[in-house]
Amino acid sequence: MFLCFILQIVARYVFNYPLGWTDEVSVLCWIWCTLWGAVFVLRERDEVRFDIIYSNASEKTRRIFTIITGIGTVVLFGIALPAVIAYVTFLKVERSAYLGIRLDILYSIYVLFSVAVIVRYAALTWLALRGKAPEISLGSGSAL
Amino acid sequence: MTSPFALCIYTILGLGLLGLPIGYSMIAGSILYLLLANLDLGTSAEQILNGLYSSYVLLAVPLFLFSAELMNVSKMTDQLLRFCDMLVGRFRGGLGHINIVQSIIFAGMSGSAIADLAATGRISIDMMTRNNRYPVSYAAAITAASAVIGPIIPPSIPMVLYALISDTSVGYLFLGGVIPGLLMALAQMVINTIMAHRHNFPVEKPIPLREWPAITATAIPALLMPVILLGGIYGGVMTPTEAAAVAAAYAFLVAVLWYRNITASDTYLAVLNSARSTASIGMLIAGALVFNYVVTIEQIPATVRSLLAGYDLSPTMFLLWVNIILLALGCLLEGSTIILVILPIFIPTAKALGIDLVHFGVIAVFNIMIGLITPPYGLLLFIISAISGAPLRSIIRDTMPFVIAMIVALAIITFIPETVLWLPRLMGYKG
Repeated sequence: MFLCFILQIVARYVFNYPLGWTDEVSVLCWIWCTLWGAVFVLRERDEVRFDIIYSNASEKTRRIFTIITGIGTVVLFGIALPAVIAYVTFLKVERSAYLGIRLDILYSIYVLFSVAVIVRYAALTWLALRGKAPEISLGSGSAL
Repeated sequence: MTSPFALCIYTILGLGLLGLPIGYSMIAGSILYLLLANLDLGTSAEQILNGLYSSYVLLAVPLFLFSAELMNVSKMTDQLLRFCDMLVGRFRGGLGHINIVQSIIFAGMSGSAIADLAATGRISIDMMTRNNRYPVSYAAAITAASAVIGPIIPPSIPMVLYALISDTSVGYLFLGGVIPGLLMALAQMVINTIMAHRHNFPVEKPIPLREWPAITATAIPALLMPVILLGGIYGGVMTPTEAAAVAAAYAFLVAVLWYRNITASDTYLAVLNSARSTASIGMLIAGALVFNYVVTIEQIPATVRSLLAGYDLSPTMFLLWVNIILLALGCLLEGSTIILVILPIFIPTAKALGIDLVHFGVIAVFNIMIGLITPPYGLLLFIISAISGAPLRSIIRDTMPFVIAMIVALAIITFIPETVLWLPRLMGYKG
């Protein structure tokens, strides 16, 4: 993930040659960085969220909130998962423009992302049911 | 509006209000919509992946974040402070002016207000509060207020996001931000002067003329950054994305070769921090991509347009209302959420009313940046309170004059479009 950035910069320097693959590599890095980072690197407090209500709620209310959002997320991402897998595997007929890599391999990160989101929120819900609400410090996850 | 769409909105709002990250809320809500509307659920994946894949301009965001992080760890700030002192330290309330000028220079290098604040905040506040010369809450207030200039003067991350949703040129948006950014700085300096006279803030000792060249020389690498960036973009050498990459590489080289105070672990930290911010904003963008798809198939823009046609709204009235709404939302919501979720609703109307989209974008970004320092949800206020140790309430009190001055500046750029559009037009913008 960290290499992505270096790679992007280096890629851009090769730019004097009209090489298309550098574009493609940087864009792919960006997709992978975002989706991979979102589920495996981000801590709860880095997320961009509307936390005024949550942070002012009592411990018990927070647990209920977490359970509701957790179940909602798991159910909806879960329903979409088969279709997502179908979409990504369908793409095996296509290849990326420059590198010629099969798109289903490149896009597989989204399946991984979906599964990780489901697991993560299932875990959070489970923890909340067991009596632990995740602590959220006030909005640190902004890039502005 | 069909009811699946209404349900989709309720889901997003509901999950969002209960504290689920906004990006996930939007994806979840959109999945529900696709389900109810009997559309292929795989579309959610398709929209996100293809959207991210084809949005080349967005690559500028992580790169700008990275260069800002680098400048933070390389302590470029110290050199800059001396340079600003040289320029404006001699006036009453000198340190306040130094703070503002420094933010202008920083604004030319980074595209993020939070990065500017993190870079300059502690040093500026320490300097201002030494020997009790300024009250700490005032020091904190002016530091937070001046950091807001960051994303208005190019480069600017919020403008890149706006360019994505509105299909306008990043280059012209950046140019459009220059004069409003300076105007905002001017407004703040006026307030600082007034406050300085009222509270009799100290004057700095003027720096003798013979020291000027040396001080300027140490600041040059930092000062060159905006020149390289903007020159590259408008000279047609680079696209904004490439310029962002060059900026990151340049910041790295300056830190390593010129100031020589960056270590491997600093670099690692910079990469890690920018990766985190990238992922969190990337999620928001992903959510916005699916949600915008839903908005498009529901033909919301057309609905809004026909709804508005009945009201006979003039462009001026519309802009006034947008400003009021955005200022109100800015008190409650995080800035990139407003850009990616709320603005797409306004853009079709702005277009229909014949408002220039570059003008509109600069106004919106300006407005949303003010939102960063308005309570209760003013991100910069929280950060500066943590940095300075001053209580939030007194910081808010001292920020208010600046907020008012900035709203006046906002009114000026809203109703005199030339303040925004003059520079882009000079460089060939046809709008």
